[in-house]
Amino acid sequence: MTASNLQSSTGAVMVVGGGIAAIQASLDLADSGYYVYLVEKSAAIGGVMSQLDKTFPTNDCSMCILSPKLVEAGRHANIELITLAEVQELKGQVGDFTVKLREKARYVDLSKCIACGVCAEKCPKKVDDEFNRGLNKRKAAYVKYPQAVPLKYAIDKDNCIFFQKGKCRACEKFCPAGAIDFEQKDRERQIKVGAVILAAGFKPYDPVNYAQYAYAKLPNVVTALEFERILSASGPWMGHLVRPGDEKEPKKVAWLQCVGSRDINHCDHPYCSSVCCMYAIKEAVIAKEHSHGDLDTAIFFMDMRTFGKDFERTYVNAAKSGVRFVRSRVHSITETPETDLRIEYADDAGMLIAENFDLVVLSQGLEMNPETAEMCQRLGVDLAPSQFVATGSFDPVATSREGVFVCGALAGPKDIPISVVEASAAACAASAKLASSRGSLVQTREIPAQRPVLGDTPRVGVFVCSCGINIAGVVDVKAVMEYAATLPNVAYVENNLFTCSQDTQDKMAKVIAEKGLNRIVVAACSPRTHEPLFQETLQAAGLNKYLFDMANIRNQDSWVHAEEPEKATEKAKDQVRMAVAKASLLEPLNEVQLSVNPTAMVIGGGLAGMNAALNLASQGFATHLVERDNALGGNARLLRITAKGEEVQPYLAELAEKVKTDPLITTHLGATVETVEGFVGNFKTALAKDGGQEMIEHGAVVIATGAGEYKPDEYLYGQDPRIMTHLELDSALLSGELDPAKVDNAVFIQCVGSREPERPYCSKVCCTHTVETALHLKKHNPESRVIVLYRDMRTFGEREILYKEARAAGVLFVRYDVERKARVAKEGDDLFVYVWDHVLGRELKLPADLVGLASAIVSHRDQALAQMFKIPQDDDGWFLEAHVKLRPVDFATDGVFMAGLAHYPKPIEEAVAQAQAAVSRAVTVLSKPEITLPGTVAVIDQNKCVGCGVCWAVCAYSAISQDDKGLAVVNEALCKGCGTCVASCRSGAPNLRGFSNQDVMAQITTMLQG
Amino acid sequence: MAQTITPKKLPQDALAELEGVNLNLCLTCGTCSGGCPATGLMDMDPRKFIRKVALGLYDELEKDPWVWVCTMCKRCQDACPMNVDIPKLIFTFRSHWPRSERPKGILGSCDLHVKSNGGAMGVPFDDFKFTVEDVAEELTEQEGFEDFKVYIDKEGAKYALNQNSREPVTEPDELVPLWKILYKVGADWTYYSQMWGGENYCMFLADDENWEKIIRAQAEHIDKLGCEYLVNTECGHSFYALWGGLRKFNIPHKFKLVSIVQLYAQWIREGKLQVNSDWNKDLKIKFTTQDPCNVVRKSLGDDFADDLRFVIKTVVGEENFIDVTPNKSQNYCCGGGGGSLQAGFTEERQAYGRKKFDQIMATGAGYVLVPCHNCHAQIHDLSEHYEGGFYVTHLWTLICLAMGILGENERVYLGPDLAEFGL
Repeated sequence: MTASNLQSSTGAVMVVGGGIAAIQASLDLADSGYYVYLVEKSAAIGGVMSQLDKTFPTNDCSMCILSPKLVEAGRHANIELITLAEVQELKGQVGDFTVKLREKARYVDLSKCIACGVCAEKCPKKVDDEFNRGLNKRKAAYVKYPQAVPLKYAIDKDNCIFFQKGKCRACEKFCPAGAIDFEQKDRERQIKVGAVILAAGFKPYDPVNYAQYAYAKLPNVVTALEFERILSASGPWMGHLVRPGDEKEPKKVAWLQCVGSRDINHCDHPYCSSVCCMYAIKEAVIAKEHSHGDLDTAIFFMDMRTFGKDFERTYVNAAKSGVRFVRSRVHSITETPETDLRIEYADDAGMLIAENFDLVVLSQGLEMNPETAEMCQRLGVDLAPSQFVATGSFDPVATSREGVFVCGALAGPKDIPISVVEASAAACAASAKLASSRGSLVQTREIPAQRPVLGDTPRVGVFVCSCGINIAGVVDVKAVMEYAATLPNVAYVENNLFTCSQDTQDKMAKVIAEKGLNRIVVAACSPRTHEPLFQETLQAAGLNKYLFDMANIRNQDSWVHAEEPEKATEKAKDQVRMAVAKASLLEPLNEVQLSVNPTAMVIGGGLAGMNAALNLASQGFATHLVERDNALGGNARLLRITAKGEEVQPYLAELAEKVKTDPLITTHLGATVETVEGFVGNFKTALAKDGGQEMIEHGAVVIATGAGEYKPDEYLYGQDPRIMTHLELDSALLSGELDPAKVDNAVFIQCVGSREPERPYCSKVCCTHTVETALHLKKHNPESRVIVLYRDMRTFGEREILYKEARAAGVLFVRYDVERKARVAKEGDDLFVYVWDHVLGRELKLPADLVGLASAIVSHRDQALAQMFKIPQDDDGWFLEAHVKLRPVDFATDGVFMAGLAHYPKPIEEAVAQAQAAVSRAVTVLSKPEITLPGTVAVIDQNKCVGCGVCWAVCAYSAISQDDKGLAVVNEALCKGCGTCVASCRSGAPNLRGFSNQDVMAQITTMLQG
Repeated sequence: MAQTITPKKLPQDALAELEGVNLNLCLTCGTCSGGCPATGLMDMDPRKFIRKVALGLYDELEKDPWVWVCTMCKRCQDACPMNVDIPKLIFTFRSHWPRSERPKGILGSCDLHVKSNGGAMGVPFDDFKFTVEDVAEELTEQEGFEDFKVYIDKEGAKYALNQNSREPVTEPDELVPLWKILYKVGADWTYYSQMWGGENYCMFLADDENWEKIIRAQAEHIDKLGCEYLVNTECGHSFYALWGGLRKFNIPHKFKLVSIVQLYAQWIREGKLQVNSDWNKDLKIKFTTQDPCNVVRKSLGDDFADDLRFVIKTVVGEENFIDVTPNKSQNYCCGGGGGSLQAGFTEERQAYGRKKFDQIMATGAGYVLVPCHNCHAQIHDLSEHYEGGFYVTHLWTLICLAMGILGENERVYLGPDLAEFGL
């Protein structure tokens, strides 16, 4: 949160951990003027995300979306990667810390290793491959995984024959680069930083001691992470779905949920691990796709916790696609003589059912790594009862030690998007402390002068990627390479295992210079994820980055034609030929530099909006806070406490006071946005206010417009004052209108308006809110009967502990099916709720002097705002982020960010974290004096233009206007290069740079000629 | 169809009674019911039972006979994520029955035990003494046991051994194999006069007062004799009554409590008990076993189960032992626990045991070696009731058979294939 920044401080930050959270925090900081030390315990960054096959709910390939970030972090001029290192000690205070690190010897010289793999090939010692969760072996000389950053081998001393027995040195003998160095010693380093971010992640629960599930004994009982490796193309079976025991293809697979979560008997984990329901659904759906026949998949669960954005849809769709959901927790697994796995369970009615499966996946929970816990202790960072790092709801990334921040699963179980949000939030919080030293230690990337190529004969270099086996498993890459060499203008061809890996990039830059290449084609995957990476390499080699094209022979070829390898190879050749034809025509493009107005606007004065404004101000940026209401606070004004028990109102009052008194914040109450002009760095927004208009100029904007509460039309709502929604109930408790000591019989009904056909999403906060309120009633009247009617209790993460407390306090929970909802009835003056008891199969009649309805959170569906800022909304009206996993607070429109309920229902701590994250992202824009825009924009040939106006009418970005001659002209700062204008013009006046009509025609012609 | 119900609050004393049960923490997940052989019997299962308690339906539960069908085997609790102590819950509801209305068989056994100060069959001490001395006298006529002597209350003996009432009362010849083993290893052992019976039906009756009385009397007496070990015979519930009772009632004692099976294993390892499986090399008779819940799951865990297997494999040959699935701490209760053999619900008891029966049949073994009297009786009954055709014996029978010292009158539980073997 806001804190006055220090007068003098060290402009560097240490980020501890190497997973997605650590990487995101590092990138944000490095992009906003700080030098970053990224300290990872293992030999490479990537964390657990690098081990995942796909990510929910979009089923993106995990490695494919992570890899560009890994590479970006690996090559960033202001990120120093320190692997095999652990933090020993932290001295000093915020702004002026000294960190003592212990860096283990790698026994491989990083500067010499070319990652050829000869050391591993020659190494005689096999050990369990921890990256593949021990499903196969690696060598004692190893690289963590094929796309590892840094892509450098390491020698595992504990297993190395030379270190253990004094003889061998095979790796040293065969290494062609002379990179093996047995003389290396572990060393200590002292590093000065201004702040520290802990992002060391979690440890997957090891079910080895969970005797009933016999994981230790039965090879076909696997953990979820093992299953990810089984599904993964880079896994031990190269993505072929088999069971480890006998490598047979399974026909029936079961997932058992809550293994090592919500369990105080087999482990001390009273919390929910938050992610397992979704990953189990994902794995089941993907497994079905992988299997050649009909794969039967069944997920055994207690509560299906699909609470996040688009999660409920994923659940419903999975059920529709045939994934079976069985509501029963399985007692035990046994093996039949035929090596089937037998599961016996009780159904809802109490009938015993036995079923055999070929493979059982244990949906293992998340836990604190004991070594990380020790480190936290050394650093003076407090842990919560769950053993994860303790944080508060209002300052979700701060730890107990000032200047030490935390993000990701280290601060409690959570998924990737929330980890990424927290990572940006931690970067924001660290940056807020160190604003005075911003830019003091950064190094700028030297881009060599561009080699002029205009007029030169094209010399095209073609790089064909194997993508591990993603491409090479189907396409004959050697044949494609040989074919490419025969094409006109092609001067050089090579094949790489992973073209995107850092060492290949370095090699590519060298080759470009050595061979005098002036056009580059990469035949690999999607430009959407990988183009920027390769373009940077071109720049490093002195080429204009637009002299580049990609042939997507993976997504568009090997992945879709896996069954027809020969035809796929032919298609790949066609694709390469087309790309070469286009590349031969490419010309260098210029990029426009735009000045940035270092002023921010925040729209929405609720909890998220106020936090965003304060964080922007604390980083030194003047901020306009726009609120349509006449007071700040938003929905939070009606809330009593957070899930961690903090009172909301005093906090909110303090927040509003800080906003009012901050000299950098201008608050516009009773104001709405009328028009928006401009673009990233230079927005002009007109506010309607007090009957007049005010024009504000700003460089970035954070949308924090919140959401509303659904007004129920069922359960007699509105017909009796004793029947209230959550917010009404909270306000009545806050105002004292409702005395909790006088409530004898309370009934709460969950999912009122949520998870219904009209609103097929979960409102995420209601289960926890109900449990908090139930506990409050119980506290003030222990004799009261408090009953909660629910469909699935979704007290995710550490909130599960509250659910447990509520049960312990005697709150009774009754599950209902949506087909058989509870009925509220008024009999005389008395209220009763009738509901079917899910265990006894009998109707319960519950007297009630209070009925709490957990009504849905609904979008404001603010179409006008969406159109003005050109930001999309999903079917439920939530603003749609640029990428649900890795760009959770960004929009596709640059310079526009979001936070809070406008994105999706969420608890306070997530809204605060999002506000900080949005600020962190906005600061990557605001902190630079100018930004560079892409050169791939439209251009109008005014000789052909007749000024008919079609193009400026169709332009979704308002980038085309009429000049004084009445002809079309493109504003390059607004143009997104979408090409709509090109397609709309009957005279052919617009053309798209880097994707011109000529380029496209050349591709089509060459395709047809093939 | 049951009528609509309104949940009631639990009475204050009920809350106190259920302290430590974790009743409220129940997630109604069904893990307990999914692993319970009593699920569905009398339209009840552990989850439903807990639910009725949680809803305060005490009137419906006060005399629910299912509490006498459940054997309190703890298979439910071990798997329960919230560690709900279902055995304790059932025990509590057993105790709610008016004492005189509890199952007559269990009640009678408890009363006889207390009254006789000996065992559950009410045998007066003098009769017990007469029987064992008489049988011991007969044993001295067998070759190799000429100087055998049985002691009662021998001060300073290393081992004080209890004796299940069944042998002296109904099948005295079954006393002998264990004696022979003790004699062969040269054990310094004694029976004892106070509460000598290796059983405890007062525990099953949920009669804490008398359960405690029986354990306390033994403990005081054995400490007075100065024995280093109290050895429990091949009997599960008797072991747990001691193991759990000493803890529950916080009874001070100097001796160490062990099971005879642990001693078999120890003596084999030390070379004192010289037994091997040569006899079965050609016969290749297959054996399986039953892990008594009371010793394995509820008391000593898999260490005991491993000792049990070590002994059996030594005696019958590794290749002739076929384990049941699941086994050890995960094993199913046979249905003979919890006093069910005396509870009167025969049909339910046999239905309960069906899982055990199927488990045994799946091994294809001809014999089940059982270190427990209740398991022994139940599995024997299951074999007959479901016509399984397998035999059930104690370990001592097979140990003596393997050593070639099993007398011809000591073979009542052996099948025709072994009835004459080695005589």
